[in-house]
Amino acid sequence: MLHRWVTSVLATVLLATACGGGTSLPGPVVVTFPISALGAEGQVLVRQLSRFMKEHPGIKVVQRVTPDAADQKHQLYVQWLNAGASDPDVLQLDVIWTPEFAAAGWILPLDRFLPETAAFFPSTIAANRWQDSLYALPWFADVGMLYWRTDLMSGPPATFDDLVRQAQRVRQEGGPRYGFVWQGARYEGLITTFLEYLGAYGGRILEGGRVVVNSGAGLRALTEMRDEIYRYGVVPTTALTWHEEETRFAFQNGEATFMRNWPYAYPLMQDSSDSRVAGKFAVAPMPAAPGGSHTAAIGGAQLAINRRTEYPEAAWAVIDYLTRPEQMRERAEVVGQFPTRTALYEDPDLASGLAIPPAMVRRIIEYSIPRPVTPIYTQLSEILQIHLHRALTRQSEPGAALARAQTEMQRLLNRVGLGTGEPVARR
Amino acid sequence: MPGADPTSSIERQEARIAWALVLPAVLTILLVALFPLAWTVWESFHLHDLRMPWLGKPFVGIDNYVEAFGDPRFWAALGHTAFFAVTSVGLELIIGLWLALALNRAFRGRGLVRAAVLVPWAIPTVVSALLWRFMFEGQSGIVNSLLVDLRVLREPLVWFIHPAAAWVPVILADVWKTTPFVALLLLAGLQNIDASLYEAARIDGASAWRQFRHVTLPLLKPAILVALIFRTLDAFRVFDLIYALTGGGPGTSTEPIALYTFNALLQNLQFGYGSALSVIVFAITFCLALLYIRFLGAELTGARR
Repeated sequence: MLHRWVTSVLATVLLATACGGGTSLPGPVVVTFPISALGAEGQVLVRQLSRFMKEHPGIKVVQRVTPDAADQKHQLYVQWLNAGASDPDVLQLDVIWTPEFAAAGWILPLDRFLPETAAFFPSTIAANRWQDSLYALPWFADVGMLYWRTDLMSGPPATFDDLVRQAQRVRQEGGPRYGFVWQGARYEGLITTFLEYLGAYGGRILEGGRVVVNSGAGLRALTEMRDEIYRYGVVPTTALTWHEEETRFAFQNGEATFMRNWPYAYPLMQDSSDSRVAGKFAVAPMPAAPGGSHTAAIGGAQLAINRRTEYPEAAWAVIDYLTRPEQMRERAEVVGQFPTRTALYEDPDLASGLAIPPAMVRRIIEYSIPRPVTPIYTQLSEILQIHLHRALTRQSEPGAALARAQTEMQRLLNRVGLGTGEPVARR
Repeated sequence: MPGADPTSSIERQEARIAWALVLPAVLTILLVALFPLAWTVWESFHLHDLRMPWLGKPFVGIDNYVEAFGDPRFWAALGHTAFFAVTSVGLELIIGLWLALALNRAFRGRGLVRAAVLVPWAIPTVVSALLWRFMFEGQSGIVNSLLVDLRVLREPLVWFIHPAAAWVPVILADVWKTTPFVALLLLAGLQNIDASLYEAARIDGASAWRQFRHVTLPLLKPAILVALIFRTLDAFRVFDLIYALTGGGPGTSTEPIALYTFNALLQNLQFGYGSALSVIVFAITFCLALLYIRFLGAELTGARR
């Protein structure tokens, strides 16, 4: 609020001086952009925005600091947008929020600005579409991938059977005590892990307005996850309380042969002062299984425009600038984030910036799929989290858990009018 | 008002002044207590989902309540809350009483010990929850190491993935944190008991147990009831401890009603449904408080007689 007040006072003062000076120039258009980027990421952004303002003297971008935690940021956005505020103008969205904000009528369809959607990875665009319109542009991509130990095997496992065999062999030879670690606590991370197992067997969670998680593929995927814990003894039971960081600590202390994690872990584990596996690991796509293919859950940040903004054109200019190849390359170099434009992966400069070989990154992104694209994703995810966690902690059987999850999720979709797959009336 | 006479202008004036004087207090209560409560009740009769503004905010009568009562997760959460309240308050009362009796004796350094006992109570709940989480977490947490070394467990137990075992750290953390509070309340009660009663009992040849049973306990009853009220109402609204310790898991097997409500209201932004849950929690705690007050009131007058 204070920021807004300061901004408006500044604008008034600017306007007053402009008028007093007898010039007819209007003050610059002020575009607000809430951002939680810390450290190097924040510095890159400040640099890029000041370059942008030099290029567009008529636009002034004002950063507004927001909480870093996704839940808190989401709550704040919902409060602002629900109240019909005209600022912030540009929004940084989590990939799972775009359909929610689009269906609520809070963000502007971007189609009229003619974004070059063909230049981006299809899955990153698909995640930002709602009812045939594009509502946000992917800024950088996060993908789930398999970390493996190059000193313990000659190549990464291609299938889950393979992974289990390798993990057991390594263990018998006196290797790390854990075979495979992933995010198994009851939270959003569990859904991304499950999505990758599910995709491996060819299953999906949602198709249009129909929940399809309770399928043969779903059952095989969840059973495989459970068997890897209790039958093959490859995944430790304690992973059922783990988030990203706990899995990273285990892997970087040399306690795990395989790990499922996001790209952020890579540069951290290459630092030999902290990591016992520096130079001894690589990444690959998550394993596949009969009936499906390698799958990576996609995350990352998107940029969208507040529907109530007074300056849609200026807001678009900011988004357009920040998603240009040069800015993406700079972000990749400084903070290691994956660009969402395919052509950049042909660029030799990218290889020097990214810790992971660009060809591998590209391959993994090409296997990526979005989580269910629906305005009520968060609620559906919560239901699924509970039933998956119950099955994995052996409070229920996989088949029964998936059946109940499907019933509850479908009931919710139907109740809010999203269940039939028909378009939702927007106000 | 005894003797109020509407014809007397002085009394009328006094009444007016009296009203003017209490008006700020009444307004404050209306503003900070009754207004939000009425608003919550009003919200609870609407379908109001901040995430789905296209649904509008239609009046739905008691639908939200029907939904809550038809939701197995709601009943499970209520069950968990009751289980938590009974178990933790029961243990706190027993240990607290024992602690109070010990602290009531004269010994060197009593003041220091009394202060030290309060330390767990002074630690913020979230901090103590995380403390207990670290102790119970992982294969090499202190609890697992200790129990394996003592041969109680053959191998480390992952406490937080067992629906029953996950309650152990939760209850222990609560007992550890709030027993001092109970002990202090009971200690105050103990110090109100006239020492001459014990003297008389001793002269009559009553054993220590009989003294406890027939002198201490009956006279401590009011203090016990006060402790019970505070602790039960607190335990019924338990939130931060479980939020930080188990997150309600595994699955939802340690989820209390306050966490379920928080989830609906602040995570899912279902204002209507969440408000209905809040009203239910309010109604239950209100009834509990009424029950206790009636009971306690009778006890207090009974004790005086």
